Formats: sequence, structure tokens, C-alpha cells
Amino acid sequence: MTRTALEAINLSKHFGGVLALNDASFTVPEGSLCALIGPNGAGKSTIFNLITNFYPASSGEARLFGETLTGCPAARIAARGLVRTFQTARVFPGMTALQNVLAGARMHQHSSGLAQMLWLRGARREEQALSRRAEGLLDLVGLSAFRDAAATDLPMGAQKMLEVTRALMARPRVLLLDEPAAGLNDTETVELAALLRAVRGNGVTIMVVEHNMALVMNIADQIVVLDAGCVVADGTPVEIRGNPRVIEAYVGRDEEVASA
Amino acid sequence: MSTFLQILIGGLLQGSVFAMIALGFSLVYRVTGIVNLSQGAFCVLGAMAMYLLQTVLDLPVPLALAGAALVTVGVVVLLGSFTLLPAISNLPPSSTLMLTAGLLIFFEGLVLVLWGSQPYAMPPFSGEAPVVVAGLRVPSQGLWVLGTCVVMTGVLWYLLQRTRTGRALRACAENGTAARLMGIDVPRMMLLSLAIAALIGAVTGVMIAPIASMQFDTASFYTTFGFIAVAIGGIGSFVGAVAGGLVLGVATQLAAGYLSEIFSTTLALVLLLAVLVLRPSGMFSVGRPQRTDVRVDQHAHRSLVRFDSAASVTLGLMLLALLASAPFLPLPPGMMESLSITLIVFIAVLGLDVLMGFAGQVSLGQSGFMAIGGYAAAILSATYGWSPIFSILAALLLSGICAMVLALVTMQLRGHYLALATLAFALLIDSLAIGLVDLTGGPSGFVGIPILEVGPLAFDTPQRMYYLVLAAVVLLVLLLAGGLRSGFGRALMSVRADQSASAALGMRVGHIKVTAMVLSALLGSLAGSLYAFQFQFLSPDMVSTMRSFQLIAMLVLGGEATLVGGLLGVAMLTLLPTLFQPLATYRLLAEGALLVLAFRFLPEGIYGRLVMLAGWMRPISSLPRPLATRETTETRV
Repeated sequence: MTRTALEAINLSKHFGGVLALNDASFTVPEGSLCALIGPNGAGKSTIFNLITNFYPASSGEARLFGETLTGCPAARIAARGLVRTFQTARVFPGMTALQNVLAGARMHQHSSGLAQMLWLRGARREEQALSRRAEGLLDLVGLSAFRDAAATDLPMGAQKMLEVTRALMARPRVLLLDEPAAGLNDTETVELAALLRAVRGNGVTIMVVEHNMALVMNIADQIVVLDAGCVVADGTPVEIRGNPRVIEAYVGRDEEVASA
Repeated sequence: MSTFLQILIGGLLQGSVFAMIALGFSLVYRVTGIVNLSQGAFCVLGAMAMYLLQTVLDLPVPLALAGAALVTVGVVVLLGSFTLLPAISNLPPSSTLMLTAGLLIFFEGLVLVLWGSQPYAMPPFSGEAPVVVAGLRVPSQGLWVLGTCVVMTGVLWYLLQRTRTGRALRACAENGTAARLMGIDVPRMMLLSLAIAALIGAVTGVMIAPIASMQFDTASFYTTFGFIAVAIGGIGSFVGAVAGGLVLGVATQLAAGYLSEIFSTTLALVLLLAVLVLRPSGMFSVGRPQRTDVRVDQHAHRSLVRFDSAASVTLGLMLLALLASAPFLPLPPGMMESLSITLIVFIAVLGLDVLMGFAGQVSLGQSGFMAIGGYAAAILSATYGWSPIFSILAALLLSGICAMVLALVTMQLRGHYLALATLAFALLIDSLAIGLVDLTGGPSGFVGIPILEVGPLAFDTPQRMYYLVLAAVVLLVLLLAGGLRSGFGRALMSVRADQSASAALGMRVGHIKVTAMVLSALLGSLAGSLYAFQFQFLSPDMVSTMRSFQLIAMLVLGGEATLVGGLLGVAMLTLLPTLFQPLATYRLLAEGALLVLAFRFLPEGIYGRLVMLAGWMRPISSLPRPLATRETTETRV
């Protein structure tokens, strides 16, 4: 029996009088890939931001492997194995692609700043090992040509991929990806799908907000559908495909269509 | 009671001066989003022009006033349109803040060159006799100042709230992009706000000239106090500017009257730090402060411009050989000392590079740590007879603690407030160095600092001191290079780039910022201590806040986030004045101009430009072919 990796329990969020998220609950089993879909403004990114405490939930809580994330600072959440990416690729300007990826390994760099300053053998070895791993990852996602280029000079698709790579460098147990395929072309999307499958194959739980339905149907084990802040469906891709409420959420009700 | 009322009136008078300068700050901030540190210089320019027209050309007061205002506005508009305006659209806000500091220094230098360093006084408008109301004496010029403040506030309010131009100005402040889309000529509005601020400054300067002596460096004083007023009141709020000015004026006058003249500045700064910490956006905040506590710079290529490692080792060894052989070269007299000073100042710049270049935290407080390091080492070794090495270590400890407190206290500050809080810190240390006469020797300086001795080694000749400092620099550069090329450096750069994304990757952002601040302070403190031992003398002037601006100028000129680049900037600003002694008057002017020009035209610094010229690295913009170039066809439901 697999454990529950990520769990949302009655998460709600008000922004002033606007109810962005209403009583959302779902569970993501360990090692699975869960897609979060829904029309614009449905509250998908809000869920990510609540889980990672970018802003506090109005009520309800999120749990990581059974332990609450409420009140846990962002850095601590990452240390507990939950790493996220952002809707707009937030690569670090002023750093090369390789440096960006290496920045993801900060939690796994155990030598102290002092040891690094003294050029101690252990610190240098660790740095070399991390560099090798980062270069390996860049190679895996096909970005090794950009190794020494300024991250912000990369094409948009490559920047999104770089952000995912940086998150992977942090060795997450649970990975939250916010629209990773936005801005990718077809080839890159196929590569992304292969990458996500491989990552899941290594036992990493993935939750992804995505608009590219072909991609979602292709790779997701589970799909959670949001509409106007509510979870309207939660099931396998096959179940979701035929769900009338999902079609309603995207296409509108029959009478609306008729009157339009 | 009458003493109290007399002090109160003095305070309101002083306060209305601060309020008028604060109004200029607020106006420019509202429209451009920039804290214009050159505001204080507008007053001095106005006053000096007035002196020229009234005393030398013998024009009547109204005509001279109009002329002085015209001259000031003209100069400011001319300079502003070439420097500040292009910078606002091209540079991150923190760089623009530094650029205005450069303008302040430039204006001070200009006044120094044109009018010399002596103070000027002008006759009051309506005679020397004070007005006596109910037994209280008010200088007649004071009534002019108060009246001007009231009229100016009223006119400014009317202009902004009731006229078409005012609405356009406010629109730029709310949302520049939207304003542009609505057909408002945003750059013109920005220039207009600068012109109005210059007008306010000039009139203020003219009004206060008869009761306050004016000289070239009065500009920093007015900038400082105007800024403190505006920060207390809330940047961007006109009510706040006036209220902040009056509160500051009354508080400093009360402190001067009942405590001590010397500590009134200290009190003002404590007041400011308290307001910043308790109410980060001032008493009357306007809108949300922009999140610009780090130097968000999408085009930050500076740190990517590098020699490859083989080239940097070769060049480093060549530079080291040159520096090590310097004492054997036929140098002009005094050059040996200048070289030592260059290297000592470079240590402080190294610290600034860690904090500002790598971690992106703008600090105007580096001179404060130099002062702590210098005075602590001086006092412990000279007054208490500690061995120099222990006094240096104790100074380091003290600086480290101060830096940690400062970092923790300012952790939550956003926008320009962080830079300004560090400025307040430096000014606070400065005021203590001047004020604690028994401990520091006060304004005339601390004499009798012993020769630096480490065990049996006495660094009693310029050559020995030079080699000691050189060894320290080499050691520090190696240490910093080790840390900054590894995870520590990446953590600093990540925080500079994007704090929340860094936190999401597990970085303890607060921890990293505090570390950077402490490391930077330690280097500043060490530089300060060595500086004191080098001169065997230390005065507040040597480690004043002007020094902070100078350190930034050196860093930016040399190249930020390059570690060794700063040396080029330090050398330029330290050695050139030594070589061209007769031109000492022009030094301030040149420093200001260099700071402005470096920010505007040489963002990668001399070092970066050298690397580019050497062509030993691939230009960063030439990227390999994009991964795939096929058209994107997204499938969406």
C-alpha cells in the first residue's frame, strides 16, 4: 500500500471578498503524477501557493507525508522535500545556466562557507561532485549547450526547462510544477513528458498544473479538476475525460451555449 | 516656559526647512519612484547663485531670487535629462539611487570648484532686527522661511490636486506604463517633477542662506536631514513630508536645547531608525512600497563577465608580481603610502562587493563599519594600551555584532528603505564619532595611535606596512574567491536574483543576508583598523558617510561582483589624486562625475570592459542555436 505524499484538507482562500479557493480536498499518493487542471482563474496556482505557504490559507491545511505544512517557512518546506517551480519561469538572472542548476543543490551542499573559503579538499570534492551532477542533468534535458550562457538569455522554453532542472537538482520527494509546458513547442513538450515519466519512475511524486490536455492525458495518473475555486472532479484520465462536470467547466452549461 | 517656547519656535523654523527639502524628495519620488539624494544640493546651488546675483552683481532681492531659481532649475534640468532620466528607464532603482548620490557629490564638487570651500552668508531680506512677539524673539528671516514653507505646500497641493498637469504627474506616480498608454509624456513629466523639485530647493536655499551659512558640503547635510524627515513622514506623502520635517526640527532643537548640541543629530537618527523599524513605510505611507530590496536586474550580466580560470590565474600572478615589486620601483614621494591606502580601501570595497555586488543588498553603511573598526582599534590600543592585534580583533568582534543587529533590524525593510537604513546607521556612527569627544577626540580627530606591531614584528616603515597590507589583501582575495566560486557565492547571487524562488529551493534567505552583511562589515572593520594604524591618526572626516559613497563609486567603477575589479576603481580614485595634487579641488567633482558616468555608461565596470576587450571569453549574447525552432502548436481543450 502506497503512502499519501501530499494531501489538501478543506483548503480555502479569500482575497478580500473574493473566494479564490473553496474547501478544496484531494490526496496524491507517493510516486504518482497528479495533474491539476481547470479554466483560468479556477484557483490552480492558488493551491500551489497555499501548499508552499507563499500566502497563508484562510482555512484548512496541506500535509506532506502526513505532517502539516501550515506555518512552515518556505525554506523548511523545501528541506522537507517539497520543491516547486513558478508559472513564469523564474531563473536567476546574473547567473549562468549551470550556476542556476547548481543553486538548486544548496540544501545538499554540506560543506560550510568557511570550508569553501579555505579551499578545503572536502569542499572542493563536494563542489566537483555537484557540478558533475548538474552537468549530467543539463545533458539529460538537452540544455548542455547553454551551460555557460546567461540563464536569462535562454529561449523561453529552455528557461522553463532550466527551472525544472534546477528543482530536480534539489532532489525533491514531491515536485510541484506550475505550467511547465507553457511556451514549449511540440518537440520540447514531448521531451518534457519523457522527463516527467523518468522522474516519476525514480519515485518522485509530481503534481503539475497544466493547460496542455494532450500532455496531461498522456502522463497523469490522476487528474484533479478545479472550477471557480471548487474541486469538481478527481479521478483517472479516463474517468475525467467522460465527466460531464468537467466538460461543463470548460465549455459551459447547455443552456448557456444555447443562449449564446 | 519661555525658553521652551523659544526652542519650539527654533524647532519649527528648522523643521520647515527640512519640510521643504522633504517636499522636493516626495515630489520626485511620487513621479519617478526615485529617492533623489541630490535634493540637498539644489538648496546650495540656489543659495550660491543668489549670492552671486545679489552680492556680486548687486541685483535687488526679487530679481536675484528669480535669477537664482532659474539658474538652479536650468542646471538641474540639463543634467537630469542626460543622467537621471535615461537611468530611470534603464537601471534598477538601487543603481539610480546611487546615481543620485553621484549627482550630489558632483554638485558639491561643482560648488567647491566655483565658489571654494569657505562659507557664505547673505544679508536677511528685511533687516537684522528680530521680530518680538509676546516676549519671544523670532529672526525676521525665520518668518520668511515659515511663510515660504506654507505657501509652497499650498501651491504644490493645488498644482497636484487641481490642475491637469498635476493629474498627469500623479498618473505617472500611480502607473507609469498605463500613463504612457493614456498619452502622457512620462519622461517629460519626470523632468517636470525634477524641475519643480529644483525650484523648491533653490527657493529654500535662498530663504535660509541669511540664517544658515552655506558652503559646498552643506548639500549632504540638507540631503541627510531632508531625507530623514521624509522617511519619518513616509516617502511620497506630502502631509508626511511636512509633518516629518516639523517633528524632526522640533525634536533636534529640543535635544540640542536640553541635552547637548552634539547629540541632536544622533537623536534624529535614532528617531529615524525607530520609525523605520516600527513603521517601515513612515507615519503617512502612500501605497505599497515597491519590492526593490534587492537589485532586481534582468540584464545583470556583470557577474558573468569573467576571464577564464587559466587567464585569471596568470593575470593575478602578474598583478601580484607588479604589486610586490612596487617598493623597489622609483616612486614619487608619498606614493608608497598611497599604495598602502589603496590596498586598505580595497579591503573595504571587497566587503562591499560581497554585500552589494554578490548579494545585491545596497549598503551605504560601509563607512560606519570602517569607523567602528578604526575607532575601536585606536581607542583600545592607544587609550587602553592593548596590543594592536588584539584591538583589531576586538574591533572585528564589535563590528560583527553591530552588523548582525543591523541586519536583523533591517530584515523586513523593503525598497529604498534598506539602503536608507544603512545610511542612517553610517550617519549614526559618524555622529557618535564626532560627539563622543572624550573617547574619539571629536571633530579634531584621534591622535597618538601606536605603530602596528604583531608580536616581535613592528610595521614601522611604509614598506613594511605595505607588505603587511598586501599579504592581507592576497589572503582575503583567495578566501573570498574560494567561497564565492562555490555554494556560498551561488547562494548570495540567488538571493540577489530572486528571494522567494531561492527560499523555494531551500535557501534560508534571512540567514544568507545576515551572513553577507556580517562578512562585509568584518572586511570594512579590518580596513578601518588598518587605516587608523596606517595614519596613526583618525578623524570623523576620514570615515564619514561620504566615504560610503566613495566606496560604492570605486566598486561600480571597477566592476561589481568581480572581486578584484574593485581594485581598479580604488586605484583610480586614490592614486590619481595623489599624482595630480594641484588639481585637488577638482577631486570631488571628478568623483561625482565618475560615479554618475560609471552607472550610466559602464555598468560592467572597468574590469568587465577589460575582459570584453581582451575578447578571451565568448560574448554572452551569442548563444548556441535554440533547441528547436519549429513553430509551437499548442493543443488545448
